[in-house]
Amino acid sequence: MTPELERRAPAPVLAARGITKSFPGVRALDRVDLEVAEGEVHAVLGQNGAGKTTLMNILFGLIHPDEGELYLRGRRVRFRSPHDALASGIGMVHQTRRLVPAHTVLENLVLGHPGGRGLLDLRGARREVEALCARYGVHVDLEARVWQLSEGEKQWVEILKALYAGVRILILDEPTSALTPPEVQVLLRALRALVDRDGVTVVLVTHKLPVVRAVARTVTVLRAGRVAARLVVSDTTDHELVQHMVGQEVTLPAVHTPDHPGPAVLQVEDLSAYNDKGLLSLRGVSFTVHEGEIVGVAGVTGNGQEELAQVLAGLRPAASGRVRLLGRDITHLPTLDRWRLGLGYVPAERAEVASVAALSLVENTGLNYHFDPEFCPRGLLDRDRLERLTRQILATFRVKAPHPYVRAQHLSGGNLQKLVLGRVLSRRPRLLVAHLPTQGLDVEAAAFVRAQLLEAKARGAAVLLISEDLDEIFAVSDRVGALYEGRFVALVPRSEADPETVGAWMAGSMGRPA
Amino acid sequence: MSELLVRSLEASTVFLLAALGELVNQRSGILNVGLEGLMLFGGTAAFLMAQSTGSYAAGLAGGIAVGSLLGWVHGLFSVRLRGDQVVSGMGLWILSFGLTTYLGSPRTGPLGLPRFPALLGLSPFVYFGILLVVAVWFVLSRTSLGLAIRSVGESPAAAAASGVNVAGIRYLCVVFGGALAGLAGAAYTLSYNPVWNYNFLMGWGFVSLALVFFSMWNPWVLLGGSVLFGAMWQLSLSPEYVLPGVLSRYVWRTVPFAVTIAILTVISTPWFRTRWGLAKPQALGVPYGD
Repeated sequence: MTPELERRAPAPVLAARGITKSFPGVRALDRVDLEVAEGEVHAVLGQNGAGKTTLMNILFGLIHPDEGELYLRGRRVRFRSPHDALASGIGMVHQTRRLVPAHTVLENLVLGHPGGRGLLDLRGARREVEALCARYGVHVDLEARVWQLSEGEKQWVEILKALYAGVRILILDEPTSALTPPEVQVLLRALRALVDRDGVTVVLVTHKLPVVRAVARTVTVLRAGRVAARLVVSDTTDHELVQHMVGQEVTLPAVHTPDHPGPAVLQVEDLSAYNDKGLLSLRGVSFTVHEGEIVGVAGVTGNGQEELAQVLAGLRPAASGRVRLLGRDITHLPTLDRWRLGLGYVPAERAEVASVAALSLVENTGLNYHFDPEFCPRGLLDRDRLERLTRQILATFRVKAPHPYVRAQHLSGGNLQKLVLGRVLSRRPRLLVAHLPTQGLDVEAAAFVRAQLLEAKARGAAVLLISEDLDEIFAVSDRVGALYEGRFVALVPRSEADPETVGAWMAGSMGRPA
Repeated sequence: MSELLVRSLEASTVFLLAALGELVNQRSGILNVGLEGLMLFGGTAAFLMAQSTGSYAAGLAGGIAVGSLLGWVHGLFSVRLRGDQVVSGMGLWILSFGLTTYLGSPRTGPLGLPRFPALLGLSPFVYFGILLVVAVWFVLSRTSLGLAIRSVGESPAAAAASGVNVAGIRYLCVVFGGALAGLAGAAYTLSYNPVWNYNFLMGWGFVSLALVFFSMWNPWVLLGGSVLFGAMWQLSLSPEYVLPGVLSRYVWRTVPFAVTIAILTVISTPWFRTRWGLAKPQALGVPYGD
């Protein structure tokens, strides 16, 4: 920060200086500075994996930085645990709920409250909480059990819990991700009241530009663990913010897109699905993937991509709409029949869903062949044949494994992913659905996986690539699109979009007019 | 007839004491299926202590101490070492079964002390048990300690995020449960049936364990369930009081166990679980921490 800026800005109530944090194999934060002025909403913006949540967890004392210091009202502080942070008036509302579902709202608010010793004074607590609710225009039934509440209400309970504990600095991690649009409006209005009327300071972590626009005065943009920019929101444009979020070092290798697309392999019409929480998270998407084509779907986690992949694989029922594979309606077909018809599915969770950790590589290969009479005549596994196939996959996909009978859990993420991809591609699928196929992989493994996607395409497979990595999407796709809140913002030939535009789509903005 | 009533209440009290301890245990998220073993050991220790010192107080103290110690051992396995609670509990039962047989066999036979003092015609354990129901209910529902216990059993992560010492609360509850199991064993061998036999409890601990599930983790329902089971048990010993000549007494003896199986079957149905499932502590049997 330059000296003149320092003079103009109000003294920060909370500051982090030079925060560095490494996890095995990853540098999550690299000399990050953060300054939050008293009584403002400060947004921390960035893509998934940019280090936002790690930084917040450090501010809240949940994890400890390798290097760097925290300052509260100008004085150096060290938080050993959330307890210390709470005692200093810092509260955090996590992305995942930290409430006891079977207890009433009031009991949850009282649990761990600094004033609570001996007998529970639920009546006194109720009076105080009701006053808080009235003040911020929130309606929560204090006698309701938490499991009965909607996600939005639960979030309110957490915010109330922090306020009831007397927090002056409130950290909100992706507070809008679980909310319906009207709930978002209530939350944003209350945040403004919190800041304007009561001088509470709010640190708001998000990847959504409209949210930043609506409430934040200042914003820190993180990209790949570093501060990309620190800006006053009113002085900047969406375009500029997206540029900082996405970065510009995007190179486009040549992808040969045929002039005339092949016949349609996957046809999706007006497809909707519920997520695990029972919210409609995929809301009527329609698209087609043709033979020899890769369609890249971008989007930030939680905007319906997972549900889309699972519905296509037959692992999640469609709420409405239709899916056709090679002209046949497969909307209600069991997963196994879809595999037989030529589906290949690479799930995002390679260690949990795509493979069984305690089984050998040969047995894991068998997971895609147990229904194949060639490999399982009369229900008996032909182990020799499976072993030969596994050895072949290990060789062609360059999987580093001591032998084919080692357990899957001993492979690194990259090698496991190559095995899974090799297994799926060895079936020569007509449609390949790859969900986050390179997440967490090192550069070399990621490049290998992408090359395999292109090769599958060259063999005539239709490929649906669901990814959060814009570089990846632009490196291999013939058409690109983005899901935002369960719908396609757009789906266009790659030549008609650039990473910045798609980055804006991912954040719910239309970006520059095309 | 009134003799039957008195004996029923005293039997009920043994079930009640053991089950109440297990209930507190389970509300904090720790399952101790070795309840039978803790009662066997507590009962045997109480019997041996009372017989060798001639003092009921010493016997009670011995039973409670041994029960607490075994409860703490279970805590060590399930809280500290985060082991499988069913395996640890079964281990404690088998260990107790073997050791008490070894320790108690030479003293097989009656206690040989004057009868345990009665209060208004009933064993004092009966009154103590009822008081304890009130106390447990009050602590669980009306104090911040109780809220902490329930929260730890439902969602230890939420409790920890609110500043509650999860391991501390669980140790406290598992030792309390062990102490009550030991006391229940002592009530059996000192008062209800002051004779040491091979496997004298004959599965009462397992009935108590089932009672906790039956009670939906509610102390008042537990009280009712204990009285019901105590009466059924006593009835099975002397069915001629109520239904003279109907069925052999051996058939009647199976009734409490048959009812236990029936209840466990009912409460494990999806219908029952969706209707009442939330009564069960969510984190029951799940180790916490990393």
